[in-house]
Amino acid sequence: MKKNDEILWLYKSCRKKIIVMRNALIILLFGTFQVLATESYSQTTRLNINMKGVTIKDVLSRIEDESNFYFLYNSKLINVNKKVDLSVKNEKIETVLNQIFDNNKVNFLFKDNHIIISPKETIIDQQKKITGKVVDDTGEPLPGVTVVIKGTTMGTITDFDGNYSLSEVSVIATLVFSFVGMISQEISTEGNNILNVKMKEENIGIEEVVAIGYGTMKKSDLTGSVASIQGEEIAERSPIRVSQALQGTTPGLMVTRGGSAADASASIRIRGITTIGDSNPLIIIDGTPGTLDWVNPNDIESISVLKDAASCAIYGSRAASGVILITTKKAKSGQLKMSYDYDFTIEKPTRLASYVGAVDYMKTQNELSWNDNDNIVNNEYPIYNKELIDNYTNLNAEDPYNYPNTDWQVLMLKDYALRKSHMFNLSVGTEHVQSYISLNVDDTEGLYEGKDYDRYTFRANNDIKINQYFSAEVNFNALYSINKNPQTTQFGKQAVVPGPIAAPIYSAEWPDGRIAPGKGGENPYAILMHAGNVVNKAGVFGGKGQINFTPLNNLKFSVAYSTELFYSKTKDFRKQLNYTSYEDPLNIKGLISNAETTRLDESRDDHLSTTFQILSSYKKSFDKHQIQLMGGFEEYYIISEDLGASRDQYSIKNFPYLNIGNENFQFNSGSASEYSNRSFFGRVIYDFDNKYLFQSNIRYDGSSRFHKDCRWGLFPSFSLGWVVSEESFMKNIKGLNFLKLRASWGTLGNERVGNYPYESTIGFGSTLLFQGHDVVSAQSAGLSKYTIPDISWETTESYDFGCDIVLLDNKLRFTGDYYKKKTTDMLLSLEIPNFIGLDNPQQNTGDMHTNGWELSIGWSDKKGDLRYSANVYLSDFKSIMGDLGGTEFLGSKVKFKGSEYDEWYGYKSEGIFQTQEEVDNSPKLYSNTKPGDVKYTDISGPDGVPDGKISNIYDKVLLGGSLPRYMYGGSVGMGYKNFSLNLVFQGIGKQNSLITQDMIRPLQNYWMDVPAIGIDKNWSHYNTEDQNKKARYPRFSTVSSSNNYTNSDFWLFNGAYFRLKNINLGYNIPENIVSKLKLNSIKLNANVSDLFSIDNYPKGWDPETSSNYWITKSFTMGILVKF
Amino acid sequence: MKKLILIFSICILIICNGCNELDLAPLSEASDVTWFSDENEVEMSLVDVFNNSFWNEYAPLKFYFNSDDYCRRTDLRTLTNGTVTGKSGDITSAWNSCYKCIARANFLLSNYDKSGNIAQEKLNMYAANAKFARATQYSKLIFLFGDVPYYEVPLTIEEAFSTGRTNKVEVLKKIYNDYDFAIENLPEEYGSSEYQFATKGAAFAFKARIALYMGDYAIARDAAKACVELGTYKLFPDYETLFLAKTKNSIETIFAVPYSVEKNSIWISGVCKDCITRTAGGYCSCSPSWDLFCSYLCTDGLPIDESPLFNPHEPFKNRDPRCSATIVEFGREWLGYTYTPHPDSIYVLNHNTGQMVKNMDNRANSTWASFNGLAWAKHMDETWLDQKTDNDNIIMRYADVLLMYAEAKIELGEIDGTVLDVMNQVRARAYGVDFNQTSSYPVITSTSQSELRKILRIERRMEFAQENVIRYNDIMRWRLAEKVLNLPRYGMLDVDQLREKVVNQGLWFFPETPPIDEDGIADFKPLYDAGLVRILAKRCFNAPQNYLWPIPSTEIFINDNITQNPGY
Repeated sequence: MKKNDEILWLYKSCRKKIIVMRNALIILLFGTFQVLATESYSQTTRLNINMKGVTIKDVLSRIEDESNFYFLYNSKLINVNKKVDLSVKNEKIETVLNQIFDNNKVNFLFKDNHIIISPKETIIDQQKKITGKVVDDTGEPLPGVTVVIKGTTMGTITDFDGNYSLSEVSVIATLVFSFVGMISQEISTEGNNILNVKMKEENIGIEEVVAIGYGTMKKSDLTGSVASIQGEEIAERSPIRVSQALQGTTPGLMVTRGGSAADASASIRIRGITTIGDSNPLIIIDGTPGTLDWVNPNDIESISVLKDAASCAIYGSRAASGVILITTKKAKSGQLKMSYDYDFTIEKPTRLASYVGAVDYMKTQNELSWNDNDNIVNNEYPIYNKELIDNYTNLNAEDPYNYPNTDWQVLMLKDYALRKSHMFNLSVGTEHVQSYISLNVDDTEGLYEGKDYDRYTFRANNDIKINQYFSAEVNFNALYSINKNPQTTQFGKQAVVPGPIAAPIYSAEWPDGRIAPGKGGENPYAILMHAGNVVNKAGVFGGKGQINFTPLNNLKFSVAYSTELFYSKTKDFRKQLNYTSYEDPLNIKGLISNAETTRLDESRDDHLSTTFQILSSYKKSFDKHQIQLMGGFEEYYIISEDLGASRDQYSIKNFPYLNIGNENFQFNSGSASEYSNRSFFGRVIYDFDNKYLFQSNIRYDGSSRFHKDCRWGLFPSFSLGWVVSEESFMKNIKGLNFLKLRASWGTLGNERVGNYPYESTIGFGSTLLFQGHDVVSAQSAGLSKYTIPDISWETTESYDFGCDIVLLDNKLRFTGDYYKKKTTDMLLSLEIPNFIGLDNPQQNTGDMHTNGWELSIGWSDKKGDLRYSANVYLSDFKSIMGDLGGTEFLGSKVKFKGSEYDEWYGYKSEGIFQTQEEVDNSPKLYSNTKPGDVKYTDISGPDGVPDGKISNIYDKVLLGGSLPRYMYGGSVGMGYKNFSLNLVFQGIGKQNSLITQDMIRPLQNYWMDVPAIGIDKNWSHYNTEDQNKKARYPRFSTVSSSNNYTNSDFWLFNGAYFRLKNINLGYNIPENIVSKLKLNSIKLNANVSDLFSIDNYPKGWDPETSSNYWITKSFTMGILVKF
Repeated sequence: MKKLILIFSICILIICNGCNELDLAPLSEASDVTWFSDENEVEMSLVDVFNNSFWNEYAPLKFYFNSDDYCRRTDLRTLTNGTVTGKSGDITSAWNSCYKCIARANFLLSNYDKSGNIAQEKLNMYAANAKFARATQYSKLIFLFGDVPYYEVPLTIEEAFSTGRTNKVEVLKKIYNDYDFAIENLPEEYGSSEYQFATKGAAFAFKARIALYMGDYAIARDAAKACVELGTYKLFPDYETLFLAKTKNSIETIFAVPYSVEKNSIWISGVCKDCITRTAGGYCSCSPSWDLFCSYLCTDGLPIDESPLFNPHEPFKNRDPRCSATIVEFGREWLGYTYTPHPDSIYVLNHNTGQMVKNMDNRANSTWASFNGLAWAKHMDETWLDQKTDNDNIIMRYADVLLMYAEAKIELGEIDGTVLDVMNQVRARAYGVDFNQTSSYPVITSTSQSELRKILRIERRMEFAQENVIRYNDIMRWRLAEKVLNLPRYGMLDVDQLREKVVNQGLWFFPETPPIDEDGIADFKPLYDAGLVRILAKRCFNAPQNYLWPIPSTEIFINDNITQNPGY
């Protein structure tokens, strides 16, 4: 076999594919049992070689480079390190080989241009037949494993099912099992006629082949910082969305979930934040830009996260925020596999906040109103009188409809939501065509009525080998999703969200099912149940065709064209809802808010994008030098159009179609945009003796987003690697298997600023004007945005220093990186004086700096039948804003020169005012501040010294970063016989988090519910002095709400958390049972996600809860059947 | 082999020929380079200057919230509870909308004549409209903010950062110049098929308004007089109907923002529900204040504390007709039901069905019914029950011009017959009579400057209640805000106490008549001290600080040349 420390270089592929292709070839060779070819390549090719004092290995590689010959040998059996001198002219290969090898000791096997070198057989005594099956770690059969009787040339190769059979084996012999990427095993035949073997992967992690931009590379040869995540890691969590499942998989990845809803994406940041604009990483799916959440998690073979500039620079202008490469699964040659996987999941919110009942609600309302009116004695019941409050419990028991005590959250939330997934896979691999086909159906419910997300995904990846020179790839993928949501209440929010809903003193529904008024028509329950829904149906159809041309063994060209059509339609149907009084069903009392008319809004969006690529690559090795070159061209174009149409005032409610609406109330809209870019790029990789590694990437990008004079940007990168462990002085260090130092530098670009930032455009609109006594709609046109015509690329320059260490027989692995990034000419929406009267323009201004580091440590070992591994990572970054060209982003989180990115900004608090005297003698923000309000520190004034009052200009200070620090995560895996157990955890070491008003503030909008955690910890006139001194929250007040709830450190707390992200337990049904069922394997899976977290959050709030949806814990049972 | 490479290369070249275009122009927007090429385009740009969002002051039925005419239970807003800052939404949105309009006007004024194929007369009309818009927006700005950045051509960023605040006196001169150009070049009326932009009359009227606000009484007088003398506008005969959704662009309307339910343009959402009484399906959370209610004169022309006609237990009787046109009279049919906040009226008549239904407008049945018993009637009719409305938002009407003329003359001490005539015209229209029918309404006859000043101020309050910023601006410019916005807002006692102390004592509705002071302001303190009413909210106005609004904070943060107003 070809020695496996050579770079396995293949255009866009992955390790397994290479292994399988090679072995398929070997099957072919041995299977045909053609010992010597006749008039083949080997007979016609003539060689000229003149080498002195070189090893046999060098000669063989030289021959491989200069011809199409390809050698296969096992270096343990064939001594290729022997030094030879060779001088041949115009000789056949056979002659050459005979010259360098001792003819008595080796055999050559020729098949076309492939030559297998094996030792000559020795004398055989007693003989028997040996059979067996070879499988991999996971129990999958391994086809193409070489089985050789040690010390002979006799051998065979396992078939498609991993079976082999060898006759005429001497009774005491040793069989050598070898397979690329696996540790060779030598097993004695003594006493056995059946030898089943499990092969173990060799040097996991270091020998791994990972996808890099426009190619693949062995991990040990990387000079940049690339993390690789196996598809199984993602699929094991049974996610609906890939983005959500990336949390806690690799250091340097900050994943922020927007709730656990199936239709919610998570935001991903690679190595912190480098720009104020769009910081989303570039997603490349099988070589083409795409959308992460459009990939079915089960189709993923592997994910590479390109973190540093050296790895990303090949993607130039779009890679400033990092790149995520997704490789989808492919079929393997000689494979025929079918599997079906069913997952059933139950989801429940991790935590639910609780809200007070009617009596406490009324008390709170009274106290707030009383507080806001000077706490006048005898006016303590300004809204609900004492009698009502005292008797409410009884009244409620007697007449729950006039005296309700509604728990809106309980009413609207389901106890659990179900999720079902069906996954069907088929892999067929013949010699010429290999197809992977998958079909997935996901059916997910939401936590409340009417929320439902169904998704169908299809993928077919086909690799076609036409002949020695040409091959092709043809891939198709499709996605169709139906996303249903109930109608929204005010501000486009769902009727039920984490946070206060409606007060308990209002009824949602009368006993006969009629809609109750809620709070005078504000009835979120009625909206949820009856007001119609919003249905989005979206389809994605993608296809890719690629032709590869390999004129020489080491030269390759490919042309690829891919296209993606996205189509989405939304039907937003809102029905008019009336409410009636409890007593009188016939008398319509009014309309439910946000359901005043029956109206249909339909919208259509579509976009079509195309990517065209040409790639060429070449590699050359001589002596200890290896060079790889790659060059390419790429074009991308997208056109988007949207259209909206609606009618209002429907007289009937059951027909959500436009033709039924009132023609006098019809509206429509439309717009379109397009964008294109063009790029040239190239790469040089140089490797000296596997010790010194060098890589340089360059990309030249042009974007339609900039004026032609500012359009093109050049993005170079350089990186170096030094494999210290290959140095002779390091060779003898015991326990050190691998040590590499890396350094890289590069620049990247960003251009995501809307499609036409440099062009001043006249936007169209309309406004109403009188025409006589009529009101007509008049077309208007105006300049609404200031433009800066010479706007151009934003540039991020970054450095990375890293090392990879493997110790203790490859059991302990360590990777560490330190990086530094500087963004200049940042594209900002420049804050211009508002009196210019135009919207803020995009401009190249400002810079920011990000520093960070990452560590990961892994351990894996095996003790008898017990396999176990553990991985831990830790990372941190800090982004500091540089000069932003005078711009400041103010608010509760700020970005201005010297601040962190999104640093909290506000007042310093000094607790709560306890007495009127204290109020009178202290600086205040507002003149109507009272005891029980939050007290702030007077930091400065117009003259630079405290001025005796709190002002929003002089007294606000930076209160610390808002972003998570010390993000950590890890996993523990164990396997014992048929069982496997994996635990994944994740967390944040430190974060300044905010107690939001939703968590704590009672009576928002005057009528929202009162959070239960707030009411006994607040400052109150009803408390004793001592109680008030210990009060955690300010008094109830609407007047002072701008004082009390303004941003200050009063509301900040340490939001660090530890989360048990995932527990996965797998069990393979024993083979004897499975085989009786004529199946290949059955695996049972139990999975628990987000089971618990440890943190300081207010009761009922998960550290990751968003304002829209809860984080859920999910319990999944799954069965995977392989046929 | 070489052949293959060659063929392959040729293929690549062929495909490359189909390269994408990188010079892409917006697909659904126009370029500013070629714009203003014909009259259509100039007109479209002018329409943009008159975009409705720049002209609402600042949204119908929203801004009156900040005056003493308004009551919303116990709630206050930043401008009435003393917490306004340069970050308050009301402040920044007012500032931004004024300047957005100014920028559009300046953009038009710098480019409108570049096509060379539009008649000069038309060009002047477009320019006059743009200048009218600019002057009107600057007028709002100097009144609210004092000195403000002033410019007449589109600004570059560099210019903007070196621009500071211009003295408001200087700005006022420019405003007059713009109005004078507008007066010169605007038509008195537009044809029935033309868009109705600003008219000559509007330019006069708005010039009068800012002059009056800034104390240039002579200019105000002349401009108002000129507007009257145009003869284009008249008082609409029926005060109540004038404000309803069905009355579009009446003869009295000088400048209004149009709305249309059918064209998807309605008053800010929630207005209907907030104003509709609760029995009729609303919240009745926005109410007229007791201050306003008590300011209406009696039919003898006297304030309630002086008029023998006033009975505090029947407070709607014998009042100026604008009182019940503005505030829903107790016991009348209103939106299909009898309206009364009386705590013992448990059931009221549904006039559509003839059945009695539970009365949700008293606090005995409904905790959140109007806290002071009052409900708005002005602007409203049954069409509001659909929760959408499209009344004209009248920014300037003829009655205002008449009263501005009178006020200017009074302040100048030029009290003559014309002053009394115009005031009487406005009052007579409220009574639905001609102003010559002096026996049918309380004629104003006083010639004392101080008396007339008081009468005029009360007249304005009665006439313009609930109309945008008029009352707010009036109390600001008369320096009354520090008084009226520091008075507590009063309301009815809680139901039990109300029954005990008021109803059962036969004292419903007002237990006694509150005294009215020289500014026409009612004082409920005696009633409060007697325990007969309660305080709903304590307003707070800091003088002199709050007489100018704070400059939006971001302007100061990013630009050293912009200073803040004192006290903020």
